[in-house]
Amino acid sequence: MNHLLSITIAAPAIAAAVLIFVPNSNRVAVRMISVVGAAISLVTSIWVAFLYDRALGGFQLLETFPLVPSMGIHLKFAVDGWGVPLLLLTGVILFTGVITSWTLAKRDKEFFMLTLLLVAGVFGVFVSQDLFVFFLFYEIAVLPMYLLIGIWGSSHKVEPSGPFKFVWKRFEVGSREYAAMKLTLMLLVGSAAIMVAMFLLWVNSGAKTFDLQVLEATRFPISVQHVIFPLVWLGFGTLAGVFPFHTWSPDGHASAPTAVSMIHAGVLMKLGAFGVLRVGMVLVPDAAAIWAPLVGAVAVVNILYGALCAASQKDLKYIIAYSSVSHMGVVMLGIATMNAAGWNGAVYQMVAHGIMTGLFFALVGLVYERAHTRTIAKMGGFAHVMPVVAGFFTLACLSSLGLPGTAGFVAEFMVFAGAAKGVNWWWAIPGVLGAFVTAVYVLRAVKTIFWGPKPEGEYAHLTDARSTEWAAPLVLGSLLVIFGFYPRVLLDFIDVASQTNLKRLPAAVTAQVTPPAGEKVVAR
Amino acid sequence: MTPVTLALVATFAPAVAALLLLIVFPLRHKGAPAAWICLLGSVVSLGAALKLLVDRLGGAGDTRVTAPWIMENGRAMAEMGVLIDGVSLPMLVIVGVVALCVQLFSVAYMHDEAPRAFGRYFTLHALFLFSMNVVVISPNLLQLFAGWELVGLTSYLLIGFYFAKPSAAKAAVKAFWMTKLADMGFLFGLLVLYVFTGGFEWTSQPTTLVATWVTALLFVAVIGKSAQFPLHIWLPDAMEGPTPVSALLHAATMVAAGVFLVVRADPLFALAPGTREVMLWIGSVTALFAACLALVQSDIKKVLAYSTASQLGYMVAALGAGNAFAGFFHLGTHAFFKALLFLAAGSVIHAVHSNSLEDMGGLRKKLPLTTVAFGIGALSLAGFPGFAGFFSKDLVLTSLEGKGNWIPWTMLMGSAFLTAFYMGRVLIKAFGGELSEKSAHAHEGGPAMTGPLVILAIPALASGFLGGWIGTQMHHAHELHFLALTPVVASSMSLIGLTAAWFVFRNGGKAPFAGTLERLDAFSLVDKTWAAGYQVGLLGISGIAGWIDRYLVDGLMNFGAWSTLEGGESARRLQTGRVRDYALMVVAGVVVLALIGVLR
Repeated sequence: MNHLLSITIAAPAIAAAVLIFVPNSNRVAVRMISVVGAAISLVTSIWVAFLYDRALGGFQLLETFPLVPSMGIHLKFAVDGWGVPLLLLTGVILFTGVITSWTLAKRDKEFFMLTLLLVAGVFGVFVSQDLFVFFLFYEIAVLPMYLLIGIWGSSHKVEPSGPFKFVWKRFEVGSREYAAMKLTLMLLVGSAAIMVAMFLLWVNSGAKTFDLQVLEATRFPISVQHVIFPLVWLGFGTLAGVFPFHTWSPDGHASAPTAVSMIHAGVLMKLGAFGVLRVGMVLVPDAAAIWAPLVGAVAVVNILYGALCAASQKDLKYIIAYSSVSHMGVVMLGIATMNAAGWNGAVYQMVAHGIMTGLFFALVGLVYERAHTRTIAKMGGFAHVMPVVAGFFTLACLSSLGLPGTAGFVAEFMVFAGAAKGVNWWWAIPGVLGAFVTAVYVLRAVKTIFWGPKPEGEYAHLTDARSTEWAAPLVLGSLLVIFGFYPRVLLDFIDVASQTNLKRLPAAVTAQVTPPAGEKVVAR
Repeated sequence: MTPVTLALVATFAPAVAALLLLIVFPLRHKGAPAAWICLLGSVVSLGAALKLLVDRLGGAGDTRVTAPWIMENGRAMAEMGVLIDGVSLPMLVIVGVVALCVQLFSVAYMHDEAPRAFGRYFTLHALFLFSMNVVVISPNLLQLFAGWELVGLTSYLLIGFYFAKPSAAKAAVKAFWMTKLADMGFLFGLLVLYVFTGGFEWTSQPTTLVATWVTALLFVAVIGKSAQFPLHIWLPDAMEGPTPVSALLHAATMVAAGVFLVVRADPLFALAPGTREVMLWIGSVTALFAACLALVQSDIKKVLAYSTASQLGYMVAALGAGNAFAGFFHLGTHAFFKALLFLAAGSVIHAVHSNSLEDMGGLRKKLPLTTVAFGIGALSLAGFPGFAGFFSKDLVLTSLEGKGNWIPWTMLMGSAFLTAFYMGRVLIKAFGGELSEKSAHAHEGGPAMTGPLVILAIPALASGFLGGWIGTQMHHAHELHFLALTPVVASSMSLIGLTAAWFVFRNGGKAPFAGTLERLDAFSLVDKTWAAGYQVGLLGISGIAGWIDRYLVDGLMNFGAWSTLEGGESARRLQTGRVRDYALMVVAGVVVLALIGVLR
């Protein structure tokens, strides 16, 4: 089975294509085709994890098809230890996202088509070994979002205020059209930066190729690296929600429909962080080492500032959206540490946050569908009427605040340990503080929404999760706990890739990552 | 079975019970099966712990096994495992016995709950026992931290058991936040230890400076978990939970985890005299301060809650004096007599349907067994000679002799007097005197309620004599002595306190300074300070951050979009659509170009 990766990418894309020929009225067929497409990717991504040989490491399951050979562009797929967990994450989120959208009524066929196409792009990014194709898939993943939010999204009002009050005359801040437009434009500006960086790599590689393995083997002159790294950092970083280019995220995630929020916060933001890691840290390590203090400092701002912003929100979806900004800061902090603990933690946090935030948005969507409000002050006592939702929501909160026994703890702990071990050890302090602020705002939300006297009036007859709504909480909730108790399921993959890629770092950086004496070497 | 298997059984039997109840939810929703499954898990757990104890008495040694948990660069960055030694084994048994008694008691106490709530209660109890045993068997500080946080979680969920009550919801969240705030110290301590020693072992020997940092940070977490001044304020509020929960978590085991941590990490603390000095003082201040507040509480559970904080202060002071054995011994005896007191109080509350001491009176006539049980617990707590509490308290006080110019010793002697005094007050108010209106129809609960009282009364009476054995296990010589300064003074304090209580409260009198203390309690400066820190500090800053993000950071982005639109409109004016304008521009362009050409 040597086409596993292309099948993983193609399955959702083909499902989307098949949907074109299915009549809108055939709701069952639309859903079945979508779910089969998603299921195939999920199965193949699990299969990939089983086939990947951890003892061997490196890139495996290689597939190559020429695309534009004259320019050195190939469809080249392979997966490494970082890719495996991210493929799994994407497969799981897509699958649960499709099932969560089961009851969607408005233009459902188009919705499933765009969602599937988008995720095909995400899969593509995680396995592409050709920078051009990598970028191509990246755009496929980003662009459908404009339609998904613009058509299926929801609006809400933002009071005009502040020094830039006059902009309200031109556009309605907070509307879904505004959110869709802002998200797309900001991410496209990021893409433009990435494209410049990409061509700079192509030109300076000497081999006129986009092949990532060739590029990895090239040591670019430091002057070139210095131009490339900030472009890559801010270009991809915009999608990862790097401060101050994160403002598309709260509005975008709050406006997006449930499944889209799940996929966008769950996997799409990871593309940005993955890009910084794969293209920034690995391809231009010398510049990365010099820029790392700034990357880390900004990441720390993300963590603490994001958490504080989340604590001030009154709309449930905004709370979760800002918590994504904060948690993606943890990922970026891990990346900036440039040591094994930090990188392992960063990739682990991508998975942990993906699952957690997917769970969050699925539950928020569920609550919103019933209560028709997202203002937490209007809710109360929902645990009496929807105990299952309350339980899973609490679980997601616990992972969010980094409680041991959930995936969030493993990830955050590794990142903070990596940060503490580095030159900029003080990064760990605001990082841990951010986790405390998270505990404050998530538990306050739990208390306001779910605890308190039994709801009366219109909320007295709200119902708990039913049939298809069970899928996302069950799958994502159990994964949070499994990955929290037995992190080696994923870490053994991640660590292999981190070890390989750490070797590319300049000697001055790797000197710090040599583990202190006294640690045991574990046979795999 | 090997010791490791037994330890794993002791830990995971409740976990299996909890998992079963979580997944097979009909069992949980029915109520009664949940109690049986939970109890079965606890029985198996205790059985395994007792088997370990028997093996130990038969001469078995320490066992330590670990497995890699988190990977870093091909190595185990963190490990999980099992450690059975002279500290973890007694603790395992103590936790097992108290947990089983409390769960059994709960079956009767929680009988009137709806089946679903009943099931949830026992699921959480099973989860708690698992988490607590994870703490107890930890071979390193990271696993201890993991269990530590998990018991914090179950504590939060059990305090908030009556989540419909806003006060319970508030108390639960407050407990979680206060302990989580302190737990940042634990996390930082772990990070410092990791950076300088590459692991999370308490046996590593870092420099004094590193050890001081690590232990000071760990101690911050102890202050939170063990309700020491000034983070003690969550513990009285935690009494919002069901009374058996208060007995198990907020008296006997969970709050003692802080003390357990210090006992475990004793090799590290031994390297940090500075930290021990601070612990000595914080422990003493808490012991005295909480004892004063216990004196004026009208809620029987709050008396016991402040008394718990006070007794934890004793343990912390002993640890600060460098005598881990004394602290651990007091932890053990305290676990039994305080659990007994809480369960007896539960029995009273169950009979009277009120927490308030004002509603009680003359209960000795209606609840003879409870009265005896409470009396044993109270005398043990008061350090009455011969009772369990006497021996351990004596050991704590002896270890303080001469420390800090005898000031901590004096403070704890004062607390010993106060302890006897306030326990005397409760005894007289609740059980003495004439029958009150609410007490008139009181009657003892069934065997499920009285049974645990009887079981716990035995160690509350007699566990003091186990000191010698525990001392040997911890490689610490311990001898009983009665005719020295400390035991004589301490037993006098206990007797004077009880006698004074008899004379003061016999006729419904009030303690001297009670008015001042009541005002102090009502004003609760510490509480207000933290509340202000939360309201103004955290929420204030977050409000500002939220505004900045919406109207400045995002405002700038919007401004960018606005400028583009406005700029586009301005530029549009160039496209007038009139031929003569375009012709003019062409001519102007030619002229400019020509000029450039000429000037070059």
